Amino acid sequence: MPLAEPILCKRIPTPPWGDPRDRALVTLDQYLETDGYQALRQAVKTDPKDVIDLVKASELRGRGGAGFPAGMKWSFLPPEDGDRRYLAINCDEAEPGTFKDRMIVDFDPHILLEGIAICMHACRLDTAYIYIRGEYHAQAKTLQHAVAEAYKYSVFGKDSILGQINGRDPQCYVHRGAGAYICGEETALLESLEGKRGWPRIKPPFPAVEGAFARPTIINNVETLAMVGPIVLKGADWFKSMGTQRPEGAPPTVPASFGPKLYGVSGHVNRPGVYEDELGITLSELIENHCGGMRNGKKFKAAIPGGISMGILGTDQYDAKLDFDIGKAYGCLGLGTAGVIVMDEDTDIVAATRNIVRFFAHESCGQCTPCREGTAWMYKLLTRIENGGGTTNDLDLLLELAGSMGSMPGTTICGLADGANWAVRTILNKFRGDFEKRVRKQRYVSLPVAATR
Amino acid sequence: MAWIVKNSATMKIDRREQPWLDDALKAELEANVLPSYPTKQAATLPVLHAVQHKHNWIPLQAIEEVADFLGLSHAQVMDTATFYEDFWLKPKGKYLIMVCQSITCELMGQVGLLERIKAKLGIDVGQTTQDGRFTLMAAECLGSCDTAPVALVNEKLYESITATNFERILDDLE
Repeated sequence: MPLAEPILCKRIPTPPWGDPRDRALVTLDQYLETDGYQALRQAVKTDPKDVIDLVKASELRGRGGAGFPAGMKWSFLPPEDGDRRYLAINCDEAEPGTFKDRMIVDFDPHILLEGIAICMHACRLDTAYIYIRGEYHAQAKTLQHAVAEAYKYSVFGKDSILGQINGRDPQCYVHRGAGAYICGEETALLESLEGKRGWPRIKPPFPAVEGAFARPTIINNVETLAMVGPIVLKGADWFKSMGTQRPEGAPPTVPASFGPKLYGVSGHVNRPGVYEDELGITLSELIENHCGGMRNGKKFKAAIPGGISMGILGTDQYDAKLDFDIGKAYGCLGLGTAGVIVMDEDTDIVAATRNIVRFFAHESCGQCTPCREGTAWMYKLLTRIENGGGTTNDLDLLLELAGSMGSMPGTTICGLADGANWAVRTILNKFRGDFEKRVRKQRYVSLPVAATR
Repeated sequence: MAWIVKNSATMKIDRREQPWLDDALKAELEANVLPSYPTKQAATLPVLHAVQHKHNWIPLQAIEEVADFLGLSHAQVMDTATFYEDFWLKPKGKYLIMVCQSITCELMGQVGLLERIKAKLGIDVGQTTQDGRFTLMAAECLGSCDTAPVALVNEKLYESITATNFERILDDLE
């Protein structure tokens, strides 16, 4: 069932409600005319704990990739002690295939700032840093301008609508990154915010206890925070009327996939772009109803459901349901950022895999050996296979390598290697034939996987 | 790649009398940037951005000046500056062309595009033209996959580019 009305895209023309060519920056005045900052005014009249409870009740899950319930994250904060507490907003959108946050910042930055202010009120956070990736030059300027407008409108600063928090005037700053994918990992983001190299931290302590500048810190994605305003205005039940229920028989502690979601579709479709729909729509609906079908009438071959870290959907999974349970149901890592990359029948899967692994090899921060070395070796193996020099044993070696790196096998600090690992393993499992065609052409004598013992 | 080791121990520092981080810039940073952060170290990224914005790159002498300005050791700033790919520790051309090479852009034909740009400029990825006007880089995802292929020229993003229209864009640059 399609969404009745646009929610995050309320002020951003998006099909089927509007034409993307009409998109323009929503200024503060325009934002105010369309119920802007009403949710904030309502929230500040409410006890902070009740706001957290509302977000908890809505079961809003993080939209940044991991899908962790936002309300639960907020409730991990220790009691106030009068000292500073921080909010870090993750706008380091660098996952290939993901461009939804850019749309929010480009056209409706105030919906984000409103969510930030509500979160600061609910969690008693006095300083917010919007960490925006270095390559988003225009977006950083738009945000700077919107933040200045919000200061003028007393969202932040002296005599703020929020009042004083922890005995301080609430502040919001834009902090620009400098071209490192790893800074989208929450603890690497904090390191980068502190002026250091973006190396993920070992957890615990979790950021809610000891985050930026060793103080309690909440880190949320842009889309997650933008969603908070509409939830405050319309309530948890409204939010839960959209999306999909938790799997049958699962206890209530298992989070469901409620609410709308921004889907960024790119690749071989007729109308790539950001679309808003309920969680749980199928890939075929997304491609056919929103994106005008496959480009040039070609057949569907594969799709990456949510940024390249999440693995791949095979040719027979065209009807996959795009919600947070996608991982278990269709053999991939998860929904991720819902940045869907569609590939048609002419796509060279081996080359695509090589491209994906090159990304991880390039962006590995170098802190953990399995990731730094593993991604680089996988890239070398895949280049060899692509150029026709691979052997069948290379495929097994790839699987063995992939299975040995990541935070889930427990060999790395953060999840970057898990992305590389899942991408390679799911692609190899679902498209092994494509790889075998490449390696069988060659008459190489197979060598043992572990040559020297 | 973030983790490639630079020979920072034996690097020679070209020095000049005039500071790269001059008093005017310092005053501006003290007024607008430092108050945003609880520690001075946290201002490292914005200060390096400011230096690079002014001089188009960050010489080693500037790194020392930034460190002195922020009350850090030279090594601390060097450590941070070498990690991030946006910071240029060697001079780059007037126009930095970053062609996105990530998956969607490659699906949409970036490889041929990059070859055409290379041929037009007569340089390989990572090089600067003789006249110092263009530096060509292949970048990872620029976050505009719906309009792939894309390229960033300095701070401006060019979307849905073809080899022909991008050649024209380069011709039109001053």
